[in-house]
Amino acid sequence: MNMIDVRVAAVEQVTPLIKHFKFVKEDGSQLPPFSGGSHIVVAMDAEGRTYRNPYSLMGSPTDTDAYHISVRRQENSRGGSAYMHENVRVGMTLKITHPVNLFTLAKMAHKHVLIAGGIGITPFMSQIEDLNRIGADYELHYAFRSYKQAAFVEELQKACGNKLHCHSDSDGHRLDMEALLRSQPLGTHVYVCGPSPMVVAVLETAKNLGWPDSNVHNEQFLAPPVGETFKVQLAQSNIEVQVPAEMSMLEAIEAAGVQADYLCRGGVCGRCELSVLECDGGLEHNDHFLTESEKASCSKIMPCVSRTKGKRLVLDL
Amino acid sequence: MALNFKQETFRDDYTYKNSEEAIKRFPFPFPEDQYMYSVNIEPHTKGKPGSVYEFPFDVDEHYVAECKDRAITLEQDAGRYQALPHMMDAQWDFLELTMESLANDYPEHFTLTKNGSSWTWENRPLGIHDTFTFGDSSTLPREPLDYMGRQVQGDFVLLDQRDETLYADAGMVTCQADWSLAFNVGMSWREWHGPVPRATELGVMDRALKFLLNLQLANPVRRLNWTMTVNPRLDTSPENYPYWGGDRNKVNAENVSDLIHLRVELQSLFRLPRSNAIVFSIRCYLISLKDIATYPRWAKRLYRVQKTMHPDLIEYKGMTKFHPLVVEWLSQFEDGADLGIGTQPE
Amino acid sequence: MERGYWIKSKPVYTSLVWHEKATSHLVLAAGIGGMAALKLFQQMHPAQPVTVLYAKYAQMEVDYSATLKKIVPDNLHVFKFEEDLLTELKSIMPHMRMGLRIYVAGSEGFIWDVAKVVKPFGVENDHIMKELTDTLARSVYCVHCKAITRNVTTNIVQCCGCERMLFVRDHFSRNLGAYMGLMVDAESPGELPAIEEIYP
Repeated sequence: MNMIDVRVAAVEQVTPLIKHFKFVKEDGSQLPPFSGGSHIVVAMDAEGRTYRNPYSLMGSPTDTDAYHISVRRQENSRGGSAYMHENVRVGMTLKITHPVNLFTLAKMAHKHVLIAGGIGITPFMSQIEDLNRIGADYELHYAFRSYKQAAFVEELQKACGNKLHCHSDSDGHRLDMEALLRSQPLGTHVYVCGPSPMVVAVLETAKNLGWPDSNVHNEQFLAPPVGETFKVQLAQSNIEVQVPAEMSMLEAIEAAGVQADYLCRGGVCGRCELSVLECDGGLEHNDHFLTESEKASCSKIMPCVSRTKGKRLVLDL
Repeated sequence: MALNFKQETFRDDYTYKNSEEAIKRFPFPFPEDQYMYSVNIEPHTKGKPGSVYEFPFDVDEHYVAECKDRAITLEQDAGRYQALPHMMDAQWDFLELTMESLANDYPEHFTLTKNGSSWTWENRPLGIHDTFTFGDSSTLPREPLDYMGRQVQGDFVLLDQRDETLYADAGMVTCQADWSLAFNVGMSWREWHGPVPRATELGVMDRALKFLLNLQLANPVRRLNWTMTVNPRLDTSPENYPYWGGDRNKVNAENVSDLIHLRVELQSLFRLPRSNAIVFSIRCYLISLKDIATYPRWAKRLYRVQKTMHPDLIEYKGMTKFHPLVVEWLSQFEDGADLGIGTQPE
Repeated sequence: MERGYWIKSKPVYTSLVWHEKATSHLVLAAGIGGMAALKLFQQMHPAQPVTVLYAKYAQMEVDYSATLKKIVPDNLHVFKFEEDLLTELKSIMPHMRMGLRIYVAGSEGFIWDVAKVVKPFGVENDHIMKELTDTLARSVYCVHCKAITRNVTTNIVQCCGCERMLFVRDHFSRNLGAYMGLMVDAESPGELPAIEEIYP
């Protein structure tokens, strides 16, 4: 994969749990432009292992001087977000992928309803730049626990004006999903990014109100869950790889020196799909890509987020 | 390498001709003795100096004449250019990609000067010199795709990505192998590949789609496709089928090697940054059977491939009428030699 | 040109079924399509608001308006011709909200005329439920002169624009609401295959 070398130009503590990082190109040249909703994968070399985590780009897509990401420190971090918070400092160099967009704006939409929960605000910060530029009709609903924990409210007010609607739990201003989605004009698309219960609530509400699936968009990167230790036999490379509890299968395969395809590393894009040749105890599918019947067939797996419940797996790699 | 742009025609008197160098660099598409319809996608990385793969967009000796032929086709039928309104960002992406590539790879012919969003574009072979504001269509003589599409060899289709498929929502198509942009515009991947025989049943198109949905910035891909055409005619469109269809009756054993041209499409696909759209570039290269036979290895290879072609594919590619004559003419080169794998001329 | 391949751009039509989760329903029917609308109400009378627009004089002059009046509780609007129905459709669309589901029954020409009217209001044709009734007649787009010849029932038809004889291919454009027509005797002028009625 074609990586870009960047230097950390600024780090800012935005809230007690959120840090904002600014990257510029190491050689001083311009970064590629991108489309609102894109993410990059940041590679972090930490004590002999490499974390690769996806983060949404939140700056202006037309600003090619620098990229901006925000990282929320996860409570049960496997190491990636903790590494970003503790080890990444101004002046350091990192490798990032080119931007990838799995959360695009629907270009033919008549209206856009954006719903963010907490750190899920980040992909919308680049999208609103695109929406403002093309003069689109939109509203942004930003839900959070309290104003103290909410990042970027001032920036958003400046960018969105009265199109921004804040919903603070602590003030009792909860977002009424049903009321919001019931009254929208034809041709509206809804987008949600946030904690899993919120995403599920939006998807369910839209479905129950008769919205077509193609008008409903969500981004839900999954952090690879911690699981049991198991062994993977790679049939083509003819090697066996031990997958520790806190490492994803993809990370373990890479650590063993085997090149595997990937894009989002969050169970969304389908790029890392592998064929399962043998499996002794059932698969633990955690991705959003495979269909239910594919999952049931036990013949394919997304190594970026999924694991086996058994002790040993044989993959066609 | 300095290019000598030729004065030649792709219609009426058909004065198109490949120079010796152009024959030698021709993208011959058959690495093996048998042809299989497949996705055959590979990274569109920099090839050997002088080859058609040296740069993302190849400019060759036919550049000026091809642009002129395209202008004639567009003059006669404005419908060869189509762009749905939501594709404007993709149009600017296309303009940026092609201008930067040409200026970077052929600095003696093209220059792009940027001063913030004020850009100046010089195309010396075509005598074009314009200053415009990037992102503001009113400052260009035409829409961005219409403007630059006329200045790069090949056809272009801009694909919008949504609902887990790709839609052909804009394009400039004047040298196509018999498909109509005006009819296909707005179609989804599966709809516009509807007429491809056999391949769809083999799932080839579904696999290709899955691959392209994940196409990444800075990682373009390419594949070759081919057919055969009577005369070196770029515009073998269904629109003008009444004017060229009859040429298929004019082929005989005496003229087959002059009239029949192998038509190779170098198809490349690039992810576009601002729009997340994909540009599908279809560059057409034409060569007569006689010129192919300059290299006996190619002639033998072509003979073996054609002899073993499935009749459905011969029909699909519109070659049924003259195909036996092609095989017969090529048979004189067959000597049973093992050609190995590869597309090289010698 | 290729003949006889199974071309996958052809639309697939189904029988109309209520979309349970919709917040409102809009049923559009013409001619024999009135029967498809009646069948919908045979399934059930939905709890959500329903509007029915019916044009009685379609291709085949079969009039279901009397029965529809008995069955459809309210919001039934009957028109003489399809064009009048389409005009009314255009005027009510701006009042519709997300959650609306659209059902169409009639000839292929009628179905795609409806799709064309609602598209500017943000309704994609994938979200319209379509039942083909009445006739199999096709609209044919002449790839040479761009004219559309309507109500074509034969495999080969003379173009209403350039008068060329066109072979009616199975390749369908949802944008144009028409099949592709390609000159049938370009390679051998005047030699026409037998003209047969295959889309009665």
